[in-house]
Amino acid sequence: MALLQISEPGGITTQTERKRAVGIDLGTTNSLVAARCGDSVETLPDSQGRHLLPSVVRYLPEGQPALTGYQALDGLLTDPLNTIVSVKRLLGKNGDEISDNSSFLTGRFVVDQTNDALVITTVAGDKQPLEVSADILRVLSERAESYLSGPLDGVVITVPAYFNDAQRQQTRDAARLAGLKVLRLLNEPTSAAVAYGLDSGDQGNVVVFDLGGGTFDVSILSLQKGVFQVLATGGDTNLGGDDFDDKLAQWILEQSGANSELDPGERNALLHLARQMKHDLSEKDPIDVSYADWSGSLDNEQYARITANLIDRTIKVCRRVLRDAKLSIAQINNIVLVGGATRMPVIRNQVQKLFQREPLVSIDPDKVVAIGAGIQADVLIGNKTADSFLLLDVNPLSLGIETMGELVEKIIPRNTTIPVARTQEFTTYKDGQTVMLIHVLQGERELVSDCRSLARFEVRGIPPMVAGAAKIRVTFQIDADGLLSVDAKELSTGTSTRIQVKPSYGLGSNEIENMLKESQENAQSDMKARALKESLIEAEQLLEALESAIAVDGDLLTDDEALKLSEAGAALKKALQTENSREIHRLTEKLNGASEGFAAKRMDVQIVDALRGESIDTMSQDGK
Amino acid sequence: MLLQNKNFFQIFSIPEAYDLDPVLLAENYRELQAQVHPDRFANASEAEKLQAVKSTSVLNDAYETLRSPQGRAAHLLQLRDVDVSKVSQSDLSPALLFEQIQLREELEDIPRDEKSLNKLDHMRKQIEEKVRDCQKLFVKNSNTGQLLRAKSNYYEMQYLFKLLSDMDAIEEDLLGY
Ligand SMILES: Nc1ncnc2c1ncn2[C@@H]1O[C@H](COP(=O)(O)OP(=O)(O)O)[C@@H](O)[C@H]1O
Ligand SMILES: [Mg+2]
Repeated sequence: MALLQISEPGGITTQTERKRAVGIDLGTTNSLVAARCGDSVETLPDSQGRHLLPSVVRYLPEGQPALTGYQALDGLLTDPLNTIVSVKRLLGKNGDEISDNSSFLTGRFVVDQTNDALVITTVAGDKQPLEVSADILRVLSERAESYLSGPLDGVVITVPAYFNDAQRQQTRDAARLAGLKVLRLLNEPTSAAVAYGLDSGDQGNVVVFDLGGGTFDVSILSLQKGVFQVLATGGDTNLGGDDFDDKLAQWILEQSGANSELDPGERNALLHLARQMKHDLSEKDPIDVSYADWSGSLDNEQYARITANLIDRTIKVCRRVLRDAKLSIAQINNIVLVGGATRMPVIRNQVQKLFQREPLVSIDPDKVVAIGAGIQADVLIGNKTADSFLLLDVNPLSLGIETMGELVEKIIPRNTTIPVARTQEFTTYKDGQTVMLIHVLQGERELVSDCRSLARFEVRGIPPMVAGAAKIRVTFQIDADGLLSVDAKELSTGTSTRIQVKPSYGLGSNEIENMLKESQENAQSDMKARALKESLIEAEQLLEALESAIAVDGDLLTDDEALKLSEAGAALKKALQTENSREIHRLTEKLNGASEGFAAKRMDVQIVDALRGESIDTMSQDGK
Repeated sequence: MLLQNKNFFQIFSIPEAYDLDPVLLAENYRELQAQVHPDRFANASEAEKLQAVKSTSVLNDAYETLRSPQGRAAHLLQLRDVDVSKVSQSDLSPALLFEQIQLREELEDIPRDEKSLNKLDHMRKQIEEKVRDCQKLFVKNSNTGQLLRAKSNYYEMQYLFKLLSDMDAIEEDLLGY
């Protein structure tokens, strides 16, 4: 498949107008950041030329800054309790979900009883998983800022397609904590497909097979005239290269008959050895192995047997996703391999056998996700012409609500194209009932206890009536990041109450601010300066966006609307001088509100324009 | 808002008919998406972002509805003021109910082991044939204004599709997905 034409002349603004936007692959094992460098988007190296940043953070005693990446790796052996790896596996999880797969976690963690949130105890204090992620994001954004010589205007962060709402929400929160403006959360496989791109004439179905350190994703996309449409996606958030290490470690213990009671440092050393063997098997066959006073050898055939169960699981997921996409193997035009673990010959062989064709590997499987995110960031920030390409993604997990008998009724099935909104009407089941409980869940299973609880909320103030007379309309909205919000409206009396529900695990702005405060030593002045800067950027962006919108579509405004907008705009411009971030923010919101009607009208015009050509064709067809 | 147009065919500028051109529908859908998708507004004001999320949601819903053979039938009836969410006895003839019960029993009787995959396949073909017949009748009846009959065809279609999706689930079970 040809590479995307990402550098057509005229499509790109000049260097000076260019905004700084980057793509970040926040991986379980390794993280990367990519940005446009001249004509192409590339991953950025650190000062020593290394592109990958191991997703490892080592916390040091009070006062010393945490070590990240390669600097933290030693800590795995020497200071395992304060060195955190694979934190992505903990994001958005609660106590129950964690206990069954804790072997990778060398740090100690406790579950905060009040909100069931997970906290990791370190010498530098308790850390929530998202704080650890934020520390990784900070290092990457600093790398990018020094490369692009200036602060970032926005980032695209990738997440496994299979991430649920809680995991996405926490990724966003981590970015906020690191002071980043998230343009979009992008699904990793979609990102990989973007990196491989297509010529505008290219069509076809692509399977993206991504086996990373801790997660496994398979997606099928159809590519057509610059539109990437995800047809189906599936995977396993608890399957990755690490599991192959575990299997090998077990095998070593069995073969060598060594003592299997290991302390955390010894265990890490064994896992380290296992991983090295796994990597060696990708280059060499067979390999020699020695552990304690035992030595032996291992070839890929034997390795395939040891890990057969894991390999089978990946193949099963592929079949399932094919089925969801309603495609046969013959209809697949390309396979894209992503993730370091797809370097394993045992995986490549199986994938090739299943799809009966050679997978694409021309882009480094470690970098491909970050590169796609960088391309998308460049488009979203507006550096690239709008009509270059479009991504239509899906929600990976079904969304439902609890009904009688602890069952889940699906409201938005998995693989529905997002954004999506669905409404559902509920009614009271008891006479005089004034409160209704709504429990929102995510997952494919039928029982409430088998799905992930997203939000539980009460609709109050229902007028007392006979059972079944009151009506509550609930709207479930999933946005382009795959994030949910719920809106309930009480209809029976004509007067409607409306509530907005944010899922319970999302952090409130207060919590984020508190964390920000804690994480910055000289908080006060920094915070103020930051708040002011943020409010100025926000205000200027809005003013700029509105002015250019008015320049194009100003004639859509009635005199009254135009007056209101210009008043609100003038007030905001005046406030920009005051350095009062709160006031600037308030007036920005106000101007924003005043422009809602205008936004709707502009959208209509765009729609009419978009179909003008087709409408004429259709009419002439009709006339026949 | 233009997308509040209750007629999904008009949203996509395609003729209001059960038999539609899926390629044209898909093209027009993508054309519209390219204008309203939130990715076009990632750097715009909150008001425009919200508008984009709402518009795209409507567009996706309209597209899903028209693409689905059942959804499209329901929508056509709805446009003719026939509410399919309310089933009454008279919508379902005893013959129809009897046939559905028989088909259900036939499905129940297929043993749940891998050897039955062929049997499932066979039954699927048979049902897909019935769906096609039913769709033809639906087109005829809705075009000639026999809306009650069309409504009944719709319910039959719905039964058959439900049966097909249950067969999918059984097959997935057998294949161990
Ligand atoms: N040459 C190789 N052979 C086999 N596995 C590899 C190789 N290189 C990296 N890996 C494995 O890939 C995994 C990390 O993949 P990566 O894509 O970086 O993960 P993530 O997306 O989870 O951060 C690890 O399990 C690592 O051991
Ligand atoms: Mg990855």
